[in-house]
Amino acid sequence: MKYVKHIMIGIKRLTVLGKIGLGVVLMVLFLAVFSDWLALHPYSIPSGDALEAPGAGHWLGTDDLGIDIWAQICFGARISILVGFGTALLAGIGGSIIGIFSGYSGGLTDKLVMRLTDLVIVLPDLPMMIVLGAFFGPSVRNIIIVLALFSWTIPTRIVRSKVLSVKQEKYVEAAMSYGAGFWHLTLRHFLPNILPLVMVSVIRLTSRAIVAEASLAFLGLGDPISKSWGLILNHAINFKGIYFTDYWKWWVVSPITAIMLLVTAIAFISRDMERIINTKA
Amino acid sequence: MFKKILKAAIAMALVATLGLTGCSNSTPVESKIEAIKKPVVINLEGEDIGYPTPFSHYSRGPGSFKMALIFDSLLERGEKGYIPWLADKWDISTDGLIYTFSLKENVKWQDGTPMTAEDIKFSFDYYTKHPPVSNDLTVDNKSFIQSVEAVDAATVRFKVEKPLSILLGKIGNTRIIPKHIWEKVEDPLKFNTPESAIGTGPFVLKDYNKEQGAYKFEANKDFWGPKPLVDTLQFIPVSDSVLAFDKGEIDLTGNITTDILPKYQNDKEYKVLQNPAFWGYRLIFNMDKRTELKDKDIRQAFAYAIDKNELVEKVARKAAVPGNAGYLPVGHVWFNPNAKNYEYDIEKAKQLLQGKKLSFKLLTSNSNNTSNSNNSNDELRIAELLKISLAKAGIELSINSADTKTRDAAVKKGNYEITLIGHGGWGGDADLLRTAYSQEITSSQSPSTNSIPGYSNDQLNKLFEQQLYEMDAAKRKKIVFKIQELIAEEIPQIPLYNTTGYVVFKPAKFDGWKYMFDHHEVTHNKLSYLDVK
Repeated sequence: MKYVKHIMIGIKRLTVLGKIGLGVVLMVLFLAVFSDWLALHPYSIPSGDALEAPGAGHWLGTDDLGIDIWAQICFGARISILVGFGTALLAGIGGSIIGIFSGYSGGLTDKLVMRLTDLVIVLPDLPMMIVLGAFFGPSVRNIIIVLALFSWTIPTRIVRSKVLSVKQEKYVEAAMSYGAGFWHLTLRHFLPNILPLVMVSVIRLTSRAIVAEASLAFLGLGDPISKSWGLILNHAINFKGIYFTDYWKWWVVSPITAIMLLVTAIAFISRDMERIINTKA
Repeated sequence: MFKKILKAAIAMALVATLGLTGCSNSTPVESKIEAIKKPVVINLEGEDIGYPTPFSHYSRGPGSFKMALIFDSLLERGEKGYIPWLADKWDISTDGLIYTFSLKENVKWQDGTPMTAEDIKFSFDYYTKHPPVSNDLTVDNKSFIQSVEAVDAATVRFKVEKPLSILLGKIGNTRIIPKHIWEKVEDPLKFNTPESAIGTGPFVLKDYNKEQGAYKFEANKDFWGPKPLVDTLQFIPVSDSVLAFDKGEIDLTGNITTDILPKYQNDKEYKVLQNPAFWGYRLIFNMDKRTELKDKDIRQAFAYAIDKNELVEKVARKAAVPGNAGYLPVGHVWFNPNAKNYEYDIEKAKQLLQGKKLSFKLLTSNSNNTSNSNNSNDELRIAELLKISLAKAGIELSINSADTKTRDAAVKKGNYEITLIGHGGWGGDADLLRTAYSQEITSSQSPSTNSIPGYSNDQLNKLFEQQLYEMDAAKRKKIVFKIQELIAEEIPQIPLYNTTGYVVFKPAKFDGWKYMFDHHEVTHNKLSYLDVK
């Protein structure tokens, strides 16, 4: 009950745009979870004629193979959400642990970790992702891992600097003088301080990962027969002379709209979160 | 007052503009003359397909034809058959063992040195030591040429081991390289200086940009043969060929399907050509890797479980014809219409499988831009449909994709279980069946010569040999018909469909496009760019 109250208060503090964003994200989440019931047609088997225009049977029309696009969008939501949140959580949790460790240890360890983050930040991520994606083979799991490998530095740096400042606090020094260890300090003092910060960066990473997955799939480096939004777009754009036909109106527009809606919604939420938590303080 | 001045000024300006337009109207004659003198620049869709020498170009059509713009051969492929090219006349001895070619006079290399029979002898000798990318000079991986002799400056004589039905085309199609340049070259694969791109051909390579995949050719002013109609020929990378054509960035597009055909068909500004069905997709079974594919029933089950008409309708958007189990496509001079055909029939496929559950890995390409007339995603789309329809019969496919060049290399090495591969060359001499259905790997790198690993059929091999040595065309045709019936029954690989896409261009700009008798693409035809009747 207490948590529900917290959440309700949090939602109340969101702006209108933030609330809309939250609504869109929840809706996409709903699509992803209940896609089997929401879509009337299978997402991987032709259910109509090729390139049917949107209508009663196929709400968003069909693609060149005759597969329902609405079903593909619903299923694609699953991949986008999975990749988006999967990457963000993996990078967020992993990055935070490294950041706490680095900030707490200080000295040589800290220097090594920071130089490593410099290195990863300097590497151009999209080209590297293309190379790694081609190397590990295209699958959703590999894409999450590769994306996480390039995203952990952001939470790491934020968390480390926070831990450094928290470490100077009198009560932490006092706890340390009483012999508190790394785990005690982390759980009791560091985590409550860094959690809001981590949350903001996790949300930011989510939209980044969704776009990155879509771009990899769009470039043809994703799983070739998954139905992610980027891949739907890739197939549509590669259709010969698509812009001289009417097909783009549903085949190109649908996945683009889906990607834009989700990414914009997450951006609104992250903007509000930043304001509420006030990261600069 | 000020208003009056302003009005006067505007009036003056108007008069002045009128006068100016009047002037430009009075010079149409001059501008017409200018238009005639203006050099013809043709831009076409391009990508990197290697340096255009016989050794460094990529083994697909766009690669070999760019090389052929620079390097001539003894004969050339015309609209109806082979035509005299560097050779003026030729003579085949009655026993079929001696081929004598008389060369055209006054042929010069692009650096000014005259070309002689010595160069021809040198080229063929050089190719036995260093096989070129498209090696036409072997049968069963052995060279069939016994000796080449330069009788005098303008006569070459070839002696062959056995009389073969296919020799004239094979010798005639071999590219001639200059002796004075190549005799010093030890490793032709590493020889990529501008000197290496000197031939006798109608075009000179001016610029090659590997990173962009751009090529620039200019007409060879001292060309010995028909006058080039094009002064500059450029290949530029484009992202969407139809869009680029519409914007005027390129002068011809081959990516036209029935969806957008009406836009061009009903417009006098454009001319539409339909490609012959000499480019196609086939499914090759690797029986070395998966021995259960040696079972004819399983292969036939595949053939019954694939709906070729669906592929034609959905992936090729009706701009194709379903493949024939006898391999040679409709439109091939020796196509046998009586060979067995597999109509889509899931029940029959299930019967043949007898309840077996099989699963295979299918290797395809995910970026097939290496043929001008075919776009990138077709193979993946075919694979997706194959997966769906084969699953109904109880065969599970898992799809692996790689970029075209990686895939082509893997297929050459036999690194796959089943592969789906598209390539040209389906219109060539019927002897292509021999290479496409043997288990031997040829030294030629072209994907059209990919064989079937682990497949060998004695009866078939005997027939292949018979047609090879049969000099009488009518008798040979009979054998080839029999071969088609046999391979249709055996179905060691499945031809899926042959594309018959449309080509669109503006005749007002350039109207030279012609087909070769055995090839699907007008831009690959050297004669398109030359003033030949």
